Amino acid sequence: MSYSPEYLASDVKGAWAIAKKDLEIYYVKPNIYISGILFPLFMLLAFAVGRAAPLVSLVPGLIAITALFSASSIEPVSVPIERRTRTFDRLLSAPVSMFSIVLGESISGFMFSGSICFLLFIPGVILYQPALISIAILVLGIILSCFAFASFGTVFAAYPTENVGEVMSLLNLIRLPLIFISGVFIPLESMPLWGQTVAIISPLTYASDILRFGFEGTTHFGPWTDLLMLVVFAIIFQVLGNFLYRKFNI
Amino acid sequence: MQAIVVDHLTRRFENIVAVNDVSFQVGVGEIFGYLGPNGAGKTTTIRILTGITLPTSGNAYIFDYDIQKESIRARRCMGIVPETSNIYDDLSAWKNMMFSGELYGVRLPDRMERAKELLATFDLMERKDDRVRVYSKGMKRRLTIAMGLINNPKLLFLDEPTSGLDVQSNLIIRQVIRDLHERGVTVFLTTHNIEEANVMCERVAIINRGVIAAIDAPEKLKATIQSVQSIEIGFDHPEPGMMEALQKIALVNEVRKEGDKVRLFTSHPSDVLPLVIDYLQTHHIRPLSVNTHGPSLEDVFIRLTGLEETSRASSERGGS
Repeated sequence: MSYSPEYLASDVKGAWAIAKKDLEIYYVKPNIYISGILFPLFMLLAFAVGRAAPLVSLVPGLIAITALFSASSIEPVSVPIERRTRTFDRLLSAPVSMFSIVLGESISGFMFSGSICFLLFIPGVILYQPALISIAILVLGIILSCFAFASFGTVFAAYPTENVGEVMSLLNLIRLPLIFISGVFIPLESMPLWGQTVAIISPLTYASDILRFGFEGTTHFGPWTDLLMLVVFAIIFQVLGNFLYRKFNI
Repeated sequence: MQAIVVDHLTRRFENIVAVNDVSFQVGVGEIFGYLGPNGAGKTTTIRILTGITLPTSGNAYIFDYDIQKESIRARRCMGIVPETSNIYDDLSAWKNMMFSGELYGVRLPDRMERAKELLATFDLMERKDDRVRVYSKGMKRRLTIAMGLINNPKLLFLDEPTSGLDVQSNLIIRQVIRDLHERGVTVFLTTHNIEEANVMCERVAIINRGVIAAIDAPEKLKATIQSVQSIEIGFDHPEPGMMEALQKIALVNEVRKEGDKVRLFTSHPSDVLPLVIDYLQTHHIRPLSVNTHGPSLEDVFIRLTGLEETSRASSERGGS
């Protein structure tokens, strides 16, 4: 089916309706927020213990990891549940395109993740006191990172199962190694050549790099490349999500 | 223009052909029943017609919109009530209605007005702010139908709307279907309740193993199997050996015990009845009731879906 521009307005409204519904049912709950905040604190402890580097140097990587995990965790849980309860069929049979469904699922993850990241961003700004222009780049970087990672989670949620465990194990198989190959806690410059090559294909690399630039002023790829690559990854995940949902769910 | 046109529709799932070269049309404003045993292909047909599943081959049109090429336009015309009440348990009835309306692009003031009207019709207004999680099965079913009507559809797909529901919910739902029919809404109804289809539908299609076995008005379908007319007799005290004796009466095809009654199947009830009365009088058996029945839609269904053979084979296995 070719996409007609006349559907754009109804698709955007549909996506917003889906996002609001997901936020209310799956995200805006005390236990979800508490785990969203506790997770980065545990990660901080895990990487800080035994390291000579000052604690504050871990903040950019910490926000990048928080963006990845908080944005990509809920949709792979909620979509299989909705398949089991047949509420996902309600979305598939509504007069909106698959683009709208994928976008709606991603927006909810993006908004949740964005709110958690900004809770960490505030102490980061107090500690580093970056320039105003850097703050603007940081905000843009966090927004793009959260959206790219939410789209990443939505891609995995397309896996045709009603079993949450199946999706999560697949997701973690990809997500956990990303922490180690993306220069989050180990600078890219210190990684071997093969590691630097692999890092290029990870969206977390660019999220971490733009945050390091914003807070510390150091960058491997340059801020515009980072922002551009996050946009590219977001588009790739949206298109891939559309393709996979069509393939597996229709 | 037809409300639904199904043209040589086939859907395969690996080695299974769920729907096999099915064709039919449903007129605007018609109540069309779609009957078949479990696994016959009913739900697959609905999923194709609502754009959830793609057909392997063939086409389907909703108000002239190709469901594959113009699925969004086609879906705008329809309301869908699936077999499972697919509502959000963690939201209230009101929020479920608002979400459904928003998804169908219904403007906020219209959405609110329509939601109030529908929740009142389905007797849910007093509980509209309760989470659906605490609703009974009947209430959930009513809410699912109300959500299917939020966009004022021209065509409503109802998959087993009254299955396993209490009397109150059944009455409300049947009245709503009648009201929709009066307003010219086309209703595509699948049901296991054959009597419901008989009473409500203007035409029915019977699908079996993915193939349409018959399509016609219920009365016309019944007329095709006059051989399954029957005489039903209720007894105070059935005599031993009576079943065998009744079976031996000329022109009786089959005798079946049904609760406290006996049913004699024959294609000539007017000839058989005097013989039965004669037998009863000779043996001083006083019947409590005697009724003659024409073939029911259930008889048509059983005949066309082969359930008769299945039932007979099963009873023979049980008896051996």
